[in-house]
Amino acid sequence: MIEQDLKTLEEKSIYIIREAKLKFKNIAALWSMGKDSTAMLALTRKAFMGKIPFPVIHIDNSVDFPETYTFREYLAKKWNFKVIVGHSEIKQDLVGSACCGKNKPETLKKIMAQHGFDALIVSIRRDEHGVRAKERYMSPRDRNFRWKYRNQPAELWDDYSSKMDTLGHIRVHPLLDWNELDVWRYIRQERIPINPLYFSKNGFRYRSLGCTHCTIALRSNAKTVDDIIKELRTTKQEERSGRSMDKESEYAMLRLRSLGYM
Amino acid sequence: MQVKFIALLGHKDHGKSTLIGSLLMQTGAATKVRIKEAEEYSKRLHKAFEPAFILDSFAEERLQEMTIDTTRAEIKHRNLAFALIDVPGHEELIKNMISGASYGEIALLLVSAKRDEGIRDQTKRHLFISRMLGIDRLVVAVNKMDTVGYDEGRFMEVKEGLVKFIEKIGFDTPNVAFVPISAYKGENLVRKSRKMRWYSGKPLLDALYVSATKTNKTQDGALRIIAQGVIPGKKGNLIVGRVISGKIKVGEKISILPLGIDAKTRAIIVKNRSVGTGNVGENVALELDTPISGNPRGAVISGSRDKPAVKDAVKLRIFVTGKFGDGMTAKFNGIDIPCKGIRVLRSVSTTTGDADKSKTAKALEAAEAELRLARKVPVENYEVTKELGRFVLYRKGKFVGIGTVMT
Repeated sequence: MIEQDLKTLEEKSIYIIREAKLKFKNIAALWSMGKDSTAMLALTRKAFMGKIPFPVIHIDNSVDFPETYTFREYLAKKWNFKVIVGHSEIKQDLVGSACCGKNKPETLKKIMAQHGFDALIVSIRRDEHGVRAKERYMSPRDRNFRWKYRNQPAELWDDYSSKMDTLGHIRVHPLLDWNELDVWRYIRQERIPINPLYFSKNGFRYRSLGCTHCTIALRSNAKTVDDIIKELRTTKQEERSGRSMDKESEYAMLRLRSLGYM
Repeated sequence: MQVKFIALLGHKDHGKSTLIGSLLMQTGAATKVRIKEAEEYSKRLHKAFEPAFILDSFAEERLQEMTIDTTRAEIKHRNLAFALIDVPGHEELIKNMISGASYGEIALLLVSAKRDEGIRDQTKRHLFISRMLGIDRLVVAVNKMDTVGYDEGRFMEVKEGLVKFIEKIGFDTPNVAFVPISAYKGENLVRKSRKMRWYSGKPLLDALYVSATKTNKTQDGALRIIAQGVIPGKKGNLIVGRVISGKIKVGEKISILPLGIDAKTRAIIVKNRSVGTGNVGENVALELDTPISGNPRGAVISGSRDKPAVKDAVKLRIFVTGKFGDGMTAKFNGIDIPCKGIRVLRSVSTTTGDADKSKTAKALEAAEAELRLARKVPVENYEVTKELGRFVLYRKGKFVGIGTVMT
């Protein structure tokens, strides 16, 4: 993995997060209590004088790890931001997994409608998946949450302002340029509090966090942020290799994303 | 590690995605999972292994064997990282090509040496667009050399066919490297190819490295900040924006155009810290001695003695992607400005570089035109301050073109 210049990445993300807040009327951010969306919150505080000036949404299927719930309460209090919890059901569907597949976007849809959010910050990165790599920094979803990936709007010259369908919403992706190692280096540099599940316990750690149903721990002895950075500098394994939805069936990620998955 | 952005250019099927796929594999940047996945889909489609599938991730892209939208992949070479920007080569996907190429610092053009392929309109059009976007460094890869038996004569033929055009549209020809390669077979990409001993130049990555490490004319530039809006601070509102050139200091007299506000900076905040100076690339929050009335979004902050011009009519170099007419809007620094009219002064062919007197702007062609805006905005020549010299044109919500300021 390439170690990019953190200052450049940071400035670009701050610019995009401010752009989202200043351009749209009513925005929110998704927070999974994972490392990426937690780093996004740290960047938000840098953009807004130490505050997080929008609500943060957790789509909860009630089977997240206990550590994740504890971390949610801890950080929300420490950084003083509002968390909206949406409860999603676990039921089988045609695409993706029962726990974190299509059911999560369904819950998100309800919350977005209830609060009238017109933009949503999502902390995806280009290096996570080939399909995510095709995203724009600001990416429209129609009223049914569909991603019209065959016809994305032009986005050039740092003008992240396109909006195609006024009835839908915009997904804002401030971390698109970052890679996994950049995120960890930033966590170290900024001493960002992080979910303890990322650190090795009994020889295993979680590298990418979903819920208890779709995430498996990978073999690792990395007990600190420094250890994780060292591990990532040499690993040949994929970040999301512990996540089932990436490989379940043909183009599962593509179909999930086009239906509104995060 | 410094990242250099490289925009791939070229006609469809001349091998852009295949090249990036091969480079990812040869430099060890592609993970096993990605390679395996590409292998599986190649097999499923009853094809030999297709490196392009490492990049082309949409189902439609693999089935139709074409890139639909832009993406990026990073590779390391010596002390640099190259972010390779893949773009679609199809004409009808030009908006995605421009979106990708607008982030490029160096252009890497692919042109196929295959007998029935060679230099096409789209080959030249992509070059024209990249030059218009302000890219001034170019490497040309003559691809598919394996299909012509690695023949030097064919390589020279392609090269000679392009040199004049490249010079005409304003690239510095002596500094443009031409490299014969086979992206599919992996020849002359990372290491010198043994199949083309007649070629005395550098392999592709080294040629890119030379281009990337050439020193750019550094411009100190006058202070320019594009305002994004205001955010609440501890003592009232702060105006926020990104420094695009120059420096801003505490106590400095500044102007905000087109609002016509003159003020002095009381404090500068960068990432929650009070600083004495805000530098290029930084997102600053400014506390001023004068309250700001009105929304400063899209306004430009400059030193009070070195302000940009404020105009409602600009002469542009344009590239046309759709139909011009009534009801156009221009996107400019994050705001939408209604257009009062656009008048084509002369049209320019994107495939020959020649100008003619026709006063119409045809799709996929270029022109020089005068754009009249519904209100005044601070503008500068694109060559001086890119950010203050570029417009994206829309009509009825559709992307119809881009324009760069000439005067």
